[in-house]
Amino acid sequence: MQSSPAPGGLAASDRRPLPRRPVARAASHRRPTSRWAGWGFALPALALVAVFGLMPILVAAGVSFTDLDIAGLAHPETIRLVGAANYVQLAGDPEFWAAFALTAGYVVVGVPLIAVLALAVATGLNRSDGRFFRLLRTLYFLPAVTALVAISVIWKYMFNGQFGLFNWLLDLVGLPAVNWLSDPASAQIAVGLVAVWRAIGLNSIILLAALQGVPGEQLEAAALDGAGPVRRYLYVVLPQIRFALGFVVMTTLIGWLQFFDEPFVLTDGGPVGATTSLSLFLFKRGFRLNEFGYASAGSIVLLVTIAAVTLIQLRLRKAHD
Amino acid sequence: MMHSRRAATALVATLILTTTAACAAGPAASTTPAGSASEASSAATYGKALTVWVMGDSATKFEQLIAPFETQSGIDVTVEAIPWDSVNDRLTSAVASGKGPDVTQIGLSQLASFLKGDALADVSADLAAYPNLAESNFPSAVASTALNPSGGVYSVPWIADTRVLFYRSDLLSAAGIAAPPKTWDELRADAKKLTDKAAKHYGYYIPQWDAPLPVTYTWQAGGEIMADGKIDVTSDAFTKAADHYLGLYADGSVPTASDFDQTTGFISGSVAMLVSGPYLAKAVAEQAPELDGKWSVATVPTDVSGTSLYAGSNLGVWKNTTNKVGALMLLNYLADPATQVAWYTSNGDLPAATKAYQDAKLSADPLVQVYAEQLKDARLLPVSTKWDAASSEILNALNKIAVSGADKGATLKALADKVATINAGN
Repeated sequence: MQSSPAPGGLAASDRRPLPRRPVARAASHRRPTSRWAGWGFALPALALVAVFGLMPILVAAGVSFTDLDIAGLAHPETIRLVGAANYVQLAGDPEFWAAFALTAGYVVVGVPLIAVLALAVATGLNRSDGRFFRLLRTLYFLPAVTALVAISVIWKYMFNGQFGLFNWLLDLVGLPAVNWLSDPASAQIAVGLVAVWRAIGLNSIILLAALQGVPGEQLEAAALDGAGPVRRYLYVVLPQIRFALGFVVMTTLIGWLQFFDEPFVLTDGGPVGATTSLSLFLFKRGFRLNEFGYASAGSIVLLVTIAAVTLIQLRLRKAHD
Repeated sequence: MMHSRRAATALVATLILTTTAACAAGPAASTTPAGSASEASSAATYGKALTVWVMGDSATKFEQLIAPFETQSGIDVTVEAIPWDSVNDRLTSAVASGKGPDVTQIGLSQLASFLKGDALADVSADLAAYPNLAESNFPSAVASTALNPSGGVYSVPWIADTRVLFYRSDLLSAAGIAAPPKTWDELRADAKKLTDKAAKHYGYYIPQWDAPLPVTYTWQAGGEIMADGKIDVTSDAFTKAADHYLGLYADGSVPTASDFDQTTGFISGSVAMLVSGPYLAKAVAEQAPELDGKWSVATVPTDVSGTSLYAGSNLGVWKNTTNKVGALMLLNYLADPATQVAWYTSNGDLPAATKAYQDAKLSADPLVQVYAEQLKDARLLPVSTKWDAASSEILNALNKIAVSGADKGATLKALADKVATINAGN
């Protein structure tokens, strides 16, 4: 048996013969060109990651130790190395810490919420494979593929304090209107709401694929042993989809530490900076005020945070396995 | 089976190789046409190609505007449309790469970035040959000393914009107010009179994103927002301006929702008065033609003075352009009062050249008369990157007090400290 099952992998291996791997292994001993072929196919993708992923990080790390701004771009000879001054300034910047705290808050609340909701949606969609359920699948997936600009325009109008849909509905049932995007506290909730709505789509499809890979025989065996639906779910289904669930949590965590899209389009970090996440704070300092050195320092701090969180997650997963 | 697999591998490998080769060849193939232009040093000869950056979505209309210039000079002008949101990105990439246009439109709020990035050419020595570009043709608000704090002449005026008082004359007369308010005190009194909280009607609207508004209030209170290159938020004038701004909120005359839409609010009557620009007049005329005759504009209420904002765009020649003479010829053509009037007719932007206002199309329009009157007493925001950083801080502080109920003394003290840090920076 393989150690970590891929989504749907166990079911496939139960019913069909194993792929003819031994032949390829023997072949690679006799023909080393097949290993070079593998590298050759991987190389373009690796090159892209190196040039567009790794290099900008190294450049940002370098720039974070300078005072680069737009004047420095025009006259590189005026750029000065300032050592850790940018990092010291970051540590003493209350706006930076507010953005950091806000992002941490969103991650702590949002990621478990998305995991639970996506799992709930996937479990519901897994009930049947009928036409109606396939339609539902498309509907739940739509937010993931709709253009962000379209989403933001519609949600902004729905949240609008004067003529928005939500306040009109509240008025219908006699409740007082809420200043969704104007009041700092409700703006944070409103922005988080839209972000969770967007994130459920893709994650629920991943979990649905994993759920469909849970072999029916195991569930039947558990039922025969007298396990009720809840125990079957907790002790048979959840362990089977462990890998997919861990993937969903990890990718959502990495994505939400860089929370940017929704506050940018809905409130531009307002009102009075209530929804300014860390990425939005860096964007404003780097691309609106052209303080490249300062923003680069912030982005390196964000990178280290994401790397640390991801490593902790991987360690926890290994320990669990 | 093996044969088709080998063929498939070969096909995929060829595809990868050709795409990588095409990518490598790409940049080399697209050299800028301006490089092939003749030297710009001789006044009699000039390059036959120009690239112009135009902001917003008026590129097509701009091409029509300059068609006569292209025929007359023989220069082929390529117009590039730059969305307002990405102006700063295009500027920084052009500065970093050294590859820019020949002529660029510059929104006055971004002038400081263009100057700091050393993107524009100093044309002070060349202006004498181009009569339309003489400083006397334009209002004193855009004198070269105001536009170029460090000397030289790096841009020339192109279009103007200002802020005036919009008011619903029908709502005012219904409340017994015969004429729009002329002073600060009248404004506060009238706004209070026109406010009916229960019916969600407000007397005055202050956009929470309007960074110039506290500055214009400071000017009206007789003071300066920036003196000797340092931003000052502790002066008596600024304190008076802040009290005026916050007082209107305290009276309850101003809606506190940050997503309040000013066009819808003005048309529906949710707000009776507000300070805005010609773009609002255009929007109201388009969206609510039935409101014709029920609204109008007036110059802003005065305190010590009635100074309002001078905004708009300038035009500049890119620093390392290879067709400086051609660029200046285009600027000269665009500054011609006839061209300025044609652009007003086509795109609705107010001219910068003062002679253009004598044309019948502008002098006959009562709204334009008010704009022209206001432009006579209008000033630029400080042309400084320090101002860019400080303007959002000032706005945030005032909004925190007015909308979120923060402590006035503490917030203004924190603002003064923040501004002091900005002043001390580079």
